[in-house]
Amino acid sequence: MKPKKRIALVIGSGGIKCAAAIGMWRVLQDEGIQVDSVVGCSGGSMYGALIAKHADVGEMNELSKVMWTSDIMQGYTANLKASKDGTLRFNERSGLVDDTVLNEKLKQVFGGLTFADSQVPLKIVATDMLTGEKVTLSEGSLFDAIRASLAIPIIFPPWEVDGRLLIDGGASDPLPIDVAIQDGADIIIAMGFTLDYRIRFRSMTAVQEQLNSIYMNNILTSTYAFYNLAHHAEIFPILPEFDRALSMFDVDKIPDVVERGEQATRQQLPHIKRLLSSFQEI
Amino acid sequence: MMAKNRPRIALVIGSGSVKCASALGLMKVFERENIEVNLVVGCSGGAIYAALIALGWPVEKATEATLRMWTHEVTGKRSSRAMLQLALPWIYKFDESFGLIDDRLLNRRLRDGFDGATFAQTRIPLFVTAADLYNGEQVVMSAGTIAEAVRASISIPYIFPPHKVDGRFLVDGYLSDPLPIGVAIKEGADIIIAMGFESPYQEQVSSLMRYNFQISSVTSNNLLKTNFAFHNLAHHSEIIPIIPEFEQRIKLFDTNKLPYVIEEGERAAEQQLPYIKQLLGR
Repeated sequence: MKPKKRIALVIGSGGIKCAAAIGMWRVLQDEGIQVDSVVGCSGGSMYGALIAKHADVGEMNELSKVMWTSDIMQGYTANLKASKDGTLRFNERSGLVDDTVLNEKLKQVFGGLTFADSQVPLKIVATDMLTGEKVTLSEGSLFDAIRASLAIPIIFPPWEVDGRLLIDGGASDPLPIDVAIQDGADIIIAMGFTLDYRIRFRSMTAVQEQLNSIYMNNILTSTYAFYNLAHHAEIFPILPEFDRALSMFDVDKIPDVVERGEQATRQQLPHIKRLLSSFQEI
Repeated sequence: MMAKNRPRIALVIGSGSVKCASALGLMKVFERENIEVNLVVGCSGGAIYAALIALGWPVEKATEATLRMWTHEVTGKRSSRAMLQLALPWIYKFDESFGLIDDRLLNRRLRDGFDGATFAQTRIPLFVTAADLYNGEQVVMSAGTIAEAVRASISIPYIFPPHKVDGRFLVDGYLSDPLPIGVAIKEGADIIIAMGFESPYQEQVSSLMRYNFQISSVTSNNLLKTNFAFHNLAHHSEIIPIIPEFEQRIKLFDTNKLPYVIEEGERAAEQQLPYIKQLLGR
Protein backbone atom coordinates (compact mmCIF):
# COMPACT_ATOMS: atom_id res chain seq x y z
CA MET A 1 0.00 0.00 0.00
CA LYS A 2 1.13 3.50 -0.75
CA PRO A 3 1.94 5.69 2.24
CA LYS A 4 -0.70 8.18 3.24
CA LYS A 5 -0.54 11.58 1.57
CA ARG A 6 0.76 14.31 3.81
CA ILE A 7 -1.43 17.39 4.19
CA ALA A 8 0.10 20.73 5.21
CA LEU A 9 -1.78 23.83 6.26
CA VAL A 10 -0.24 27.23 5.51
CA ILE A 11 -1.74 30.35 7.09
CA GLY A 12 -0.43 33.62 5.69
CA SER A 13 -0.13 37.09 7.15
CA GLY A 14 -3.26 39.24 7.31
CA GLY A 15 -3.77 40.72 10.77
CA ILE A 16 -7.27 40.26 12.09
CA LYS A 17 -8.31 38.53 8.86
CA CYS A 18 -6.23 35.54 9.96
CA ALA A 19 -9.13 34.69 12.31
CA ALA A 20 -10.64 33.17 9.17
CA ALA A 21 -8.35 30.20 9.96
CA ILE A 22 -10.80 29.34 12.76
CA GLY A 23 -13.48 28.78 10.14
CA MET A 24 -11.13 26.65 8.08
CA TRP A 25 -10.16 24.56 11.11
CA ARG A 26 -13.84 23.99 11.91
CA VAL A 27 -14.52 22.67 8.40
CA LEU A 28 -11.46 20.41 8.37
CA GLN A 29 -12.42 18.92 11.73
CA ASP A 30 -16.06 18.42 10.66
CA GLU A 31 -14.93 16.61 7.56
CA GLY A 32 -12.35 14.51 9.39
CA ILE A 33 -9.48 15.80 7.26
CA GLN A 34 -6.30 15.23 9.16
CA VAL A 35 -3.58 17.86 8.98
CA ASP A 36 0.01 16.59 9.17
CA SER A 37 1.90 19.86 9.52
CA VAL A 38 1.22 23.56 9.94
CA VAL A 39 3.06 26.68 8.74
CA GLY A 40 2.15 30.16 9.97
CA CYS A 41 3.27 33.67 9.15
CA SER A 42 2.60 36.89 11.10
CA GLY A 43 -1.05 36.92 12.29
CA GLY A 44 -1.33 33.45 10.78
CA SER A 45 1.34 32.15 13.16
CA MET A 46 -0.95 32.55 16.20
CA TYR A 47 -3.77 30.57 14.64
CA GLY A 48 -1.31 28.10 13.13
CA ALA A 49 0.20 27.42 16.55
CA LEU A 50 -3.22 26.77 18.07
CA ILE A 51 -4.24 24.45 15.23
CA ALA A 52 -0.94 22.58 15.57
CA LYS A 53 -1.70 21.92 19.22
CA HIS A 54 -5.23 20.84 18.27
CA ALA A 55 -6.90 23.63 20.18
CA ASP A 56 -10.68 23.75 19.94
CA VAL A 57 -12.57 26.43 18.08
CA GLY A 58 -13.73 28.03 21.32
CA GLU A 59 -10.17 28.51 22.52
CA MET A 60 -9.25 30.10 19.21
CA ASN A 61 -12.21 32.47 19.36
CA GLU A 62 -11.14 33.45 22.85
CA LEU A 63 -7.65 34.33 21.58
CA SER A 64 -9.12 36.53 18.86
CA LYS A 65 -11.12 38.52 21.38
CA VAL A 66 -8.10 39.03 23.61
CA MET A 67 -5.68 39.97 20.84
CA TRP A 68 -7.35 42.40 18.49
CA THR A 69 -8.03 45.35 20.73
CA SER A 70 -6.66 48.83 20.44
CA ASP A 71 -4.69 48.68 23.71
CA ILE A 72 -1.94 46.74 21.92
CA MET A 73 -1.17 49.99 20.10
CA GLN A 74 -0.36 51.98 23.22
CA GLY A 75 1.85 55.01 22.88
CA TYR A 76 1.60 54.96 19.12
CA THR A 77 0.50 58.56 18.50
CA ALA A 78 2.79 60.02 21.14
CA ASN A 79 5.77 58.07 19.86
CA LEU A 80 5.05 59.04 16.28
CA LYS A 81 5.12 62.70 17.27
CA ALA A 82 8.27 62.20 19.30
CA SER A 83 10.00 60.49 16.39
CA LYS A 84 9.11 63.38 14.11
CA ASP A 85 10.58 66.07 16.32
CA GLY A 86 13.60 63.91 17.10
CA THR A 87 13.02 63.34 20.85
CA LEU A 88 12.52 59.65 20.12
CA ARG A 89 15.69 58.35 18.57
CA PHE A 90 15.07 55.41 16.32
CA ASN A 91 17.35 52.45 16.01
CA GLU A 92 17.02 48.92 14.66
CA ARG A 93 15.39 47.75 17.88
CA SER A 94 12.71 50.44 17.92
CA GLY A 95 9.06 50.47 17.09
CA LEU A 96 6.47 53.20 17.38
CA VAL A 97 4.41 51.14 19.78
CA ASP A 98 5.30 50.15 23.32
CA ASP A 99 4.95 46.37 23.05
CA THR A 100 4.32 45.64 26.74
CA VAL A 101 0.61 44.97 26.28
CA LEU A 102 1.12 42.91 23.15
CA ASN A 103 3.72 40.77 24.92
CA GLU A 104 1.48 40.27 27.95
CA LYS A 105 -1.40 39.13 25.78
CA LEU A 106 0.72 36.73 23.78
CA LYS A 107 2.21 35.33 26.98
CA GLN A 108 -1.30 34.76 28.37
CA VAL A 109 -1.97 32.38 25.50
CA PHE A 110 1.44 31.05 24.52
CA GLY A 111 3.66 31.70 27.55
CA GLY A 112 5.52 28.56 28.61
CA LEU A 113 4.61 26.65 25.47
CA THR A 114 7.26 25.39 23.09
CA PHE A 115 7.13 23.94 19.58
CA ALA A 116 7.40 20.51 21.24
CA ASP A 117 3.89 21.00 22.68
CA SER A 118 2.38 20.80 19.21
CA GLN A 119 0.55 17.65 18.13
CA VAL A 120 1.88 17.98 14.58
CA PRO A 121 5.05 19.72 13.33
CA LEU A 122 4.72 23.51 13.33
CA LYS A 123 6.87 26.09 11.54
CA ILE A 124 6.70 29.84 11.99
CA VAL A 125 8.11 32.28 9.49
CA ALA A 126 9.76 35.64 10.21
CA THR A 127 12.21 37.92 8.38
CA ASP A 128 15.77 38.83 9.34
CA MET A 129 15.67 42.59 9.82
CA LEU A 130 19.28 43.12 8.80
CA THR A 131 19.66 40.78 5.83
CA GLY A 132 16.06 40.57 4.59
CA GLU A 133 16.16 36.77 4.54
CA LYS A 134 13.25 34.56 5.42
CA VAL A 135 13.79 32.76 8.73
CA THR A 136 11.88 29.57 9.60
CA LEU A 137 11.51 28.82 13.31
CA SER A 138 10.65 25.30 14.49
CA GLU A 139 11.93 24.95 18.02
CA GLY A 140 12.10 26.74 21.31
CA SER A 141 9.61 29.17 22.79
CA LEU A 142 6.34 29.66 20.89
CA PHE A 143 5.94 33.10 22.37
CA ASP A 144 9.30 34.22 20.95
CA ALA A 145 8.56 32.82 17.50
CA ILE A 146 5.07 34.31 17.27
CA ARG A 147 6.17 37.66 18.66
CA ALA A 148 8.93 37.85 16.02
CA SER A 149 6.63 36.81 13.19
CA LEU A 150 4.09 39.46 14.25
CA ALA A 151 6.51 42.40 14.39
CA ILE A 152 4.81 44.69 11.86
CA PRO A 153 7.62 46.88 10.51
CA ILE A 154 7.90 50.28 12.17
CA ILE A 155 4.85 49.63 14.37
CA PHE A 156 6.17 46.90 16.71
CA PRO A 157 9.83 46.62 17.72
CA PRO A 158 11.69 43.69 16.12
CA TRP A 159 12.23 40.64 18.35
CA GLU A 160 15.51 38.87 18.93
CA VAL A 161 15.61 35.10 18.55
CA ASP A 162 18.90 33.17 18.67
CA GLY A 163 20.90 36.35 18.19
CA ARG A 164 19.01 37.46 15.08
CA LEU A 165 16.79 40.52 15.00
CA LEU A 166 13.51 39.40 13.42
CA ILE A 167 10.51 41.21 11.96
CA ASP A 168 7.19 40.29 10.36
CA GLY A 169 7.35 37.23 8.11
CA GLY A 170 5.20 39.12 5.62
CA ALA A 171 8.20 41.24 4.67
CA SER A 172 9.87 38.24 3.03
CA ASP A 173 7.02 35.87 2.21
CA PRO A 174 3.41 36.60 3.26
CA LEU A 175 2.23 33.06 2.36
CA PRO A 176 5.19 30.73 2.91
CA ILE A 177 4.05 27.74 0.87
CA ASP A 178 7.65 26.74 0.19
CA VAL A 179 8.19 25.78 3.83
CA ALA A 180 5.49 23.13 3.36
CA ILE A 181 7.03 22.10 0.04
CA GLN A 182 10.43 21.64 1.65
CA ASP A 183 8.87 19.48 4.34
CA GLY A 184 7.59 17.16 1.65
CA ALA A 185 3.86 17.86 1.87
CA ASP A 186 1.81 16.26 -0.91
CA ILE A 187 -1.26 18.42 -0.47
CA ILE A 188 -0.97 22.03 0.65
CA ILE A 189 -3.97 23.99 1.85
CA ALA A 190 -2.89 27.63 1.77
CA MET A 191 -4.99 30.36 3.33
CA GLY A 192 -3.78 33.77 2.21
CA PHE A 193 -4.93 37.36 2.52
CA THR A 194 -4.27 40.51 0.57
CA LEU A 195 -3.77 43.70 2.53
CA ASP A 196 -6.31 46.44 2.02
CA TYR A 197 -5.58 49.56 0.05
CA ARG A 198 -6.50 52.99 1.26
CA ILE A 199 -8.55 55.58 -0.52
CA ARG A 200 -7.34 58.52 1.57
CA PHE A 201 -3.93 59.52 2.83
CA ARG A 202 -4.33 61.73 5.83
CA SER A 203 -1.05 61.05 7.55
CA MET A 204 2.46 59.84 6.97
CA THR A 205 1.57 56.53 8.62
CA ALA A 206 -1.29 56.12 6.16
CA VAL A 207 1.24 56.45 3.36
CA GLN A 208 3.49 53.93 5.11
CA GLU A 209 0.67 51.43 5.48
CA GLN A 210 -0.17 51.84 1.83
CA LEU A 211 3.44 51.17 0.81
CA ASN A 212 3.50 48.06 3.01
CA SER A 213 0.30 46.84 1.37
CA ILE A 214 1.71 47.39 -2.11
CA TYR A 215 4.93 45.49 -1.35
CA MET A 216 3.38 42.62 0.49
CA ASN A 217 0.55 42.11 -1.99
CA ASN A 218 3.02 42.10 -4.86
CA ILE A 219 5.28 39.62 -3.05
CA LEU A 220 2.21 37.48 -2.28
CA THR A 221 1.09 37.40 -5.92
CA SER A 222 4.47 36.59 -7.26
CA THR A 223 5.51 33.95 -4.71
CA TYR A 224 2.14 32.28 -5.11
CA ALA A 225 2.51 32.23 -8.90
CA PHE A 226 5.99 30.80 -8.53
CA TYR A 227 5.11 28.01 -6.08
CA ASN A 228 2.11 27.02 -8.12
CA LEU A 229 4.25 26.67 -11.19
CA ALA A 230 7.26 25.09 -9.56
CA HIS A 231 5.61 22.64 -7.24
CA HIS A 232 4.28 19.34 -8.38
CA ALA A 233 2.14 18.58 -5.39
CA GLU A 234 -1.32 20.06 -5.10
CA ILE A 235 -1.82 23.53 -3.71
CA PHE A 236 -5.34 24.55 -2.74
CA PRO A 237 -5.62 28.29 -2.25
CA ILE A 238 -8.19 29.46 0.24
CA LEU A 239 -8.65 33.19 -0.15
CA PRO A 240 -11.52 34.49 1.96
CA GLU A 241 -13.23 37.54 0.54
CA PHE A 242 -14.30 40.53 2.57
CA ASP A 243 -16.79 43.17 1.50
CA ARG A 244 -14.93 46.02 3.08
CA ALA A 245 -11.58 46.91 4.52
CA LEU A 246 -11.11 45.66 8.07
CA SER A 247 -9.27 47.66 10.66
CA MET A 248 -6.93 45.84 12.99
CA PHE A 249 -9.36 46.29 15.84
CA ASP A 250 -12.70 45.33 14.33
CA VAL A 251 -13.18 42.79 17.12
CA ASP A 252 -16.94 42.79 16.60
CA LYS A 253 -16.39 41.68 13.00
CA ILE A 254 -14.54 38.50 14.02
CA PRO A 255 -17.58 36.17 13.82
CA ASP A 256 -18.05 37.37 10.24
CA VAL A 257 -14.35 36.83 9.46
CA VAL A 258 -14.58 33.26 10.82
CA GLU A 259 -17.69 32.68 8.74
CA ARG A 260 -15.92 33.88 5.58
CA GLY A 261 -13.05 31.53 6.32
CA GLU A 262 -15.49 28.68 6.60
CA GLN A 263 -17.22 29.60 3.31
CA ALA A 264 -13.93 29.91 1.45
CA THR A 265 -12.83 26.50 2.76
CA ARG A 266 -16.13 24.85 1.82
CA GLN A 267 -15.69 26.12 -1.73
CA GLN A 268 -12.47 24.15 -2.07
CA LEU A 269 -13.73 21.15 -0.15
CA PRO A 270 -15.02 19.10 -3.12
CA HIS A 271 -11.63 19.42 -4.83
CA ILE A 272 -9.71 18.51 -1.70
CA LYS A 273 -11.96 15.50 -1.05
CA ARG A 274 -11.75 14.29 -4.62
CA LEU A 275 -7.97 14.39 -4.48
CA LEU A 276 -7.92 12.58 -1.13
CA SER A 277 -10.25 9.83 -2.35
CA SER A 278 -8.22 9.33 -5.52
CA PHE A 279 -5.20 8.73 -3.32
CA GLN A 280 -7.08 6.27 -1.17
CA GLU A 281 -8.22 4.23 -4.17
CA ILE A 282 -4.61 3.78 -5.20
CA MET B 1 11.91 32.14 -49.22
CA MET B 2 11.78 34.28 -46.16
CA ALA B 3 14.81 34.29 -43.94
CA LYS B 4 14.31 32.94 -40.47
CA ASN B 5 13.40 35.78 -38.14
CA ARG B 6 16.24 37.02 -36.05
CA PRO B 7 15.65 36.66 -32.30
CA ARG B 8 14.34 39.85 -30.71
CA ILE B 9 16.54 41.03 -27.88
CA ALA B 10 15.14 43.02 -24.98
CA LEU B 11 17.18 44.87 -22.40
CA VAL B 12 15.52 45.25 -18.99
CA ILE B 13 17.15 47.64 -16.51
CA GLY B 14 15.92 47.32 -12.95
CA SER B 15 15.84 49.86 -10.15
CA GLY B 16 19.16 50.75 -8.51
CA SER B 17 19.76 54.52 -8.72
CA VAL B 18 23.22 55.45 -9.99
CA LYS B 19 24.18 51.78 -10.30
CA CYS B 20 21.80 51.58 -13.26
CA ALA B 21 24.45 53.40 -15.32
CA SER B 22 26.06 49.96 -15.62
CA ALA B 23 23.69 49.57 -18.56
CA LEU B 24 25.87 52.05 -20.46
CA GLY B 25 28.83 49.72 -19.93
CA LEU B 26 26.78 46.84 -21.25
CA MET B 27 25.87 48.87 -24.34
CA LYS B 28 29.56 49.55 -24.98
CA VAL B 29 30.16 45.79 -25.13
CA PHE B 30 27.10 45.21 -27.32
CA GLU B 31 28.10 47.95 -29.74
CA ARG B 32 31.59 46.51 -30.09
CA GLU B 33 30.08 43.08 -30.78
CA ASN B 34 27.38 44.41 -33.09
CA ILE B 35 24.62 43.01 -30.91
CA GLU B 36 21.46 44.93 -31.56
CA VAL B 37 18.92 45.53 -28.81
CA ASN B 38 15.34 45.61 -30.13
CA LEU B 39 13.49 47.03 -27.15
CA VAL B 40 14.31 48.49 -23.73
CA VAL B 41 12.41 48.37 -20.45
CA GLY B 42 13.40 50.50 -17.47
CA CYS B 43 12.30 50.87 -13.87
CA SER B 44 13.20 53.71 -11.47
CA GLY B 45 16.88 54.62 -11.96
CA GLY B 46 16.89 52.07 -14.77
CA ALA B 47 14.24 54.13 -16.58
CA ILE B 48 16.72 56.98 -17.06
CA TYR B 49 19.25 54.74 -18.80
CA ALA B 50 16.63 52.78 -20.71
CA ALA B 51 15.42 56.08 -22.16
CA LEU B 52 18.94 57.27 -23.04
CA ILE B 53 19.65 53.93 -24.75
CA ALA B 54 16.31 53.92 -26.60
CA LEU B 55 17.05 57.42 -27.87
CA GLY B 56 20.28 56.02 -29.27
CA TRP B 57 22.52 58.50 -27.48
CA PRO B 58 26.17 57.43 -27.43
CA VAL B 59 27.69 56.55 -24.05
CA GLU B 60 29.48 59.91 -23.71
CA LYS B 61 26.36 61.93 -24.42
CA ALA B 62 24.32 59.72 -22.09
CA THR B 63 26.90 60.15 -19.31
CA GLU B 64 26.87 63.91 -19.74
CA ALA B 65 23.09 63.98 -19.67
CA THR B 66 23.11 62.01 -16.39
CA LEU B 67 25.63 64.36 -14.84
CA ARG B 68 23.46 67.32 -15.77
CA MET B 69 20.22 65.79 -14.51
CA TRP B 70 21.20 63.93 -11.37
CA THR B 71 23.07 65.94 -8.74
CA HIS B 72 22.62 66.63 -5.04
CA GLU B 73 20.74 69.81 -5.88
CA VAL B 74 17.62 67.90 -6.99
CA THR B 75 17.00 66.97 -3.37
CA GLY B 76 18.44 70.19 -2.03
CA LYS B 77 15.22 72.07 -1.53
CA ARG B 78 12.79 70.84 1.07
CA SER B 79 9.17 71.16 0.16
CA SER B 80 7.71 73.91 2.34
CA ARG B 81 4.29 72.37 1.90
CA ALA B 82 5.55 69.04 3.25
CA MET B 83 7.08 70.79 6.26
CA LEU B 84 3.76 72.47 6.98
CA GLN B 85 1.90 69.19 6.49
CA LEU B 86 4.12 67.53 9.07
CA ALA B 87 4.06 70.43 11.51
CA LEU B 88 0.45 71.55 11.22
CA PRO B 89 -1.48 68.61 9.77
CA TRP B 90 -4.79 70.04 10.96
CA ILE B 91 -4.37 73.09 8.74
CA TYR B 92 -2.26 71.81 5.87
CA LYS B 93 -4.09 68.61 5.03
CA PHE B 94 -2.00 65.57 4.45
CA ASP B 95 -2.75 63.89 1.13
CA GLU B 96 -1.41 61.45 -1.44
CA SER B 97 0.88 64.01 -3.06
CA PHE B 98 3.20 64.11 -0.03
CA GLY B 99 6.94 64.29 -0.67
CA LEU B 100 9.67 65.82 1.47
CA ILE B 101 11.47 67.37 -1.48
CA ASP B 102 10.37 70.22 -3.69
CA ASP B 103 10.49 68.46 -7.07
CA ARG B 104 10.41 71.48 -9.37
CA LEU B 105 14.15 71.43 -10.04
CA LEU B 106 14.09 67.68 -10.74
CA ASN B 107 11.21 68.09 -13.18
CA ARG B 108 13.03 70.89 -15.00
CA ARG B 109 16.26 68.90 -15.12
CA LEU B 110 14.51 65.87 -16.60
CA ARG B 111 12.74 67.99 -19.21
CA ASP B 112 16.01 69.64 -20.25
CA GLY B 113 18.05 66.44 -19.92
CA PHE B 114 15.84 64.50 -22.29
CA ASP B 115 15.51 67.55 -24.49
CA GLY B 116 11.72 67.28 -24.62
CA ALA B 117 11.92 63.88 -26.34
CA THR B 118 8.80 61.71 -26.63
CA PHE B 119 8.42 57.95 -26.82
CA ALA B 120 7.64 58.37 -30.53
CA GLN B 121 11.14 59.72 -31.12
CA THR B 122 13.04 56.73 -29.75
CA ARG B 123 14.96 54.54 -32.18
CA ILE B 124 13.75 51.33 -30.54
CA PRO B 125 10.60 50.81 -28.44
CA LEU B 126 10.89 52.00 -24.85
CA PHE B 127 8.79 50.97 -21.86
CA VAL B 128 8.98 52.67 -18.48
CA THR B 129 7.33 51.16 -15.38
CA ALA B 130 5.87 52.75 -12.26
CA ALA B 131 3.44 51.59 -9.56
CA ASP B 132 -0.08 52.89 -8.96
CA LEU B 133 -0.15 54.33 -5.43
CA TYR B 134 -3.81 53.43 -5.02
CA ASN B 135 -3.77 49.76 -5.94
CA GLY B 136 -0.13 48.72 -6.18
CA GLU B 137 -0.41 47.62 -9.79
CA GLN B 138 2.41 47.91 -12.24
CA VAL B 139 1.82 50.69 -14.78
CA VAL B 140 3.68 50.51 -18.09
CA MET B 141 4.22 53.77 -19.98
CA SER B 142 5.08 53.82 -23.67
CA ALA B 143 3.65 57.08 -24.98
CA GLY B 144 3.96 60.79 -24.25
CA THR B 145 7.03 62.68 -23.07
CA ILE B 146 9.89 60.62 -21.73
CA ALA B 147 10.66 63.06 -18.92
CA GLU B 148 7.13 62.62 -17.48
CA ALA B 149 7.36 58.83 -17.50
CA VAL B 150 10.84 58.80 -15.99
CA ARG B 151 9.73 61.28 -13.33
CA ALA B 152 6.90 58.94 -12.31
CA SER B 153 9.18 55.92 -12.30
CA ILE B 154 11.68 57.54 -9.90
CA SER B 155 9.16 58.82 -7.32
CA ILE B 156 11.05 57.42 -4.33
CA PRO B 157 8.42 57.17 -1.57
CA TYR B 158 8.54 60.07 0.95
CA ILE B 159 11.36 61.80 -0.92
CA PHE B 160 9.65 62.85 -4.15
CA PRO B 161 5.90 63.37 -4.45
CA PRO B 162 4.07 60.76 -6.51
CA HIS B 163 3.65 61.91 -10.10
CA LYS B 164 0.26 62.19 -11.73
CA VAL B 165 0.10 60.67 -15.21
CA ASP B 166 -3.24 60.21 -17.02
CA GLY B 167 -5.12 60.77 -13.77
CA ARG B 168 -3.21 58.11 -11.82
CA PHE B 169 -0.88 58.83 -8.92
CA LEU B 170 2.31 56.96 -9.73
CA VAL B 171 5.16 56.00 -7.43
CA ASP B 172 8.53 54.37 -7.94
CA GLY B 173 8.32 51.31 -10.19
CA TYR B 174 10.24 49.14 -7.74
CA LEU B 175 7.20 48.91 -5.50
CA SER B 176 5.49 46.62 -7.98
CA ASP B 177 8.49 44.94 -9.64
CA PRO B 178 12.11 46.06 -9.23
CA LEU B 179 13.15 44.20 -12.42
CA PRO B 180 10.19 44.25 -14.84
CA ILE B 181 11.05 41.26 -17.02
CA GLY B 182 7.32 40.60 -17.47
CA VAL B 183 7.03 43.63 -19.76
CA ALA B 184 9.68 42.24 -22.13
CA ILE B 185 7.94 38.85 -22.11
CA LYS B 186 4.62 40.43 -23.06
CA GLU B 187 6.32 42.35 -25.86
CA GLY B 188 7.43 39.04 -27.33
CA ALA B 189 11.18 39.21 -26.74
CA ASP B 190 13.08 36.00 -27.45
CA ILE B 191 16.18 36.87 -25.49
CA ILE B 192 15.91 39.02 -22.39
CA ILE B 193 19.00 40.64 -20.94
CA ALA B 194 18.00 41.47 -17.38
CA MET B 195 20.20 43.86 -15.49
CA GLY B 196 19.17 43.94 -11.85
CA PHE B 197 20.44 45.35 -8.58
CA GLU B 198 19.77 44.54 -4.96
CA SER B 199 18.85 47.46 -2.73
CA PRO B 200 21.58 48.19 -0.20
CA TYR B 201 20.89 47.62 3.48
CA GLN B 202 21.45 50.42 5.96
CA GLU B 203 24.75 50.39 7.81
CA GLN B 204 23.00 51.85 10.80
CA VAL B 205 19.30 52.21 11.51
CA SER B 206 19.48 55.50 13.38
CA SER B 207 16.23 57.24 12.46
CA LEU B 208 12.66 56.50 11.46
CA MET B 209 13.52 57.41 7.86
CA ARG B 210 16.48 55.01 7.74
CA TYR B 211 14.27 52.39 9.31
CA ASN B 212 11.84 52.95 6.45
CA PHE B 213 14.61 52.58 3.91
CA GLN B 214 15.75 49.36 5.56
CA ILE B 215 12.25 47.87 5.37
CA SER B 216 11.97 49.02 1.76
CA SER B 217 15.20 47.22 0.93
CA VAL B 218 14.06 44.06 2.70
CA THR B 219 10.75 43.92 0.87
CA SER B 220 11.98 45.04 -2.53
CA ASN B 221 14.87 42.57 -2.51
CA ASN B 222 12.44 39.79 -1.69
CA LEU B 223 10.15 41.00 -4.47
CA LEU B 224 13.10 41.06 -6.87
CA LYS B 225 14.07 37.48 -6.08
CA THR B 226 10.62 36.03 -6.23
CA ASN B 227 9.63 37.79 -9.46
CA PHE B 228 12.87 36.77 -11.09
CA ALA B 229 12.40 33.15 -10.01
CA PHE B 230 8.87 33.15 -11.42
CA HIS B 231 9.74 34.67 -14.79
CA ASN B 232 12.69 32.36 -15.17
CA LEU B 233 10.51 29.34 -14.60
CA ALA B 234 7.46 30.46 -16.54
CA HIS B 235 9.08 31.95 -19.58
CA HIS B 236 10.28 29.74 -22.35
CA SER B 237 12.62 32.19 -24.00
CA GLU B 238 15.99 32.95 -22.56
CA ILE B 239 16.52 35.26 -19.63
CA ILE B 240 20.11 36.24 -19.05
CA PRO B 241 20.71 37.93 -15.71
CA ILE B 242 23.48 40.49 -15.58
CA ILE B 243 24.15 41.51 -12.00
CA PRO B 244 27.10 43.90 -11.72
CA GLU B 245 29.03 43.68 -8.48
CA PHE B 246 30.26 46.72 -6.66
CA GLU B 247 32.94 46.70 -4.04
CA GLN B 248 32.49 50.37 -3.43
CA ARG B 249 29.25 51.51 -1.87
CA ILE B 250 27.32 53.59 -4.40
CA LYS B 251 25.02 56.12 -2.80
CA LEU B 252 22.02 57.89 -4.29
CA PHE B 253 24.01 60.80 -5.76
CA ASP B 254 27.44 59.28 -6.31
CA THR B 255 27.55 60.44 -9.91
CA ASN B 256 31.30 60.97 -9.49
CA LYS B 257 31.47 57.17 -9.49
CA LEU B 258 29.81 56.90 -12.91
CA PRO B 259 33.01 55.81 -14.72
CA TYR B 260 33.50 53.04 -12.15
CA VAL B 261 29.84 51.99 -12.40
CA ILE B 262 30.00 51.87 -16.21
CA GLU B 263 33.17 49.80 -16.01
CA GLU B 264 31.54 47.26 -13.70
CA GLY B 265 28.61 47.03 -16.12
CA GLU B 266 31.07 46.33 -18.91
CA ARG B 267 32.74 43.63 -16.84
CA ALA B 268 29.44 41.95 -15.95
CA ALA B 269 28.37 42.01 -19.61
CA GLU B 270 31.67 40.49 -20.77
CA GLN B 271 31.08 37.57 -18.41
CA GLN B 272 27.79 36.68 -20.09
CA LEU B 273 28.96 37.51 -23.61
CA PRO B 274 30.04 33.99 -24.66
CA TYR B 275 26.60 32.66 -23.73
CA ILE B 276 24.74 35.48 -25.52
CA LYS B 277 26.83 34.91 -28.67
CA GLN B 278 26.10 31.21 -28.53
CA LEU B 279 22.37 31.96 -28.37
CA LEU B 280 22.73 34.21 -31.39
CA GLY B 281 24.51 31.44 -33.25
CA ARG B 282 27.79 33.27 -33.53
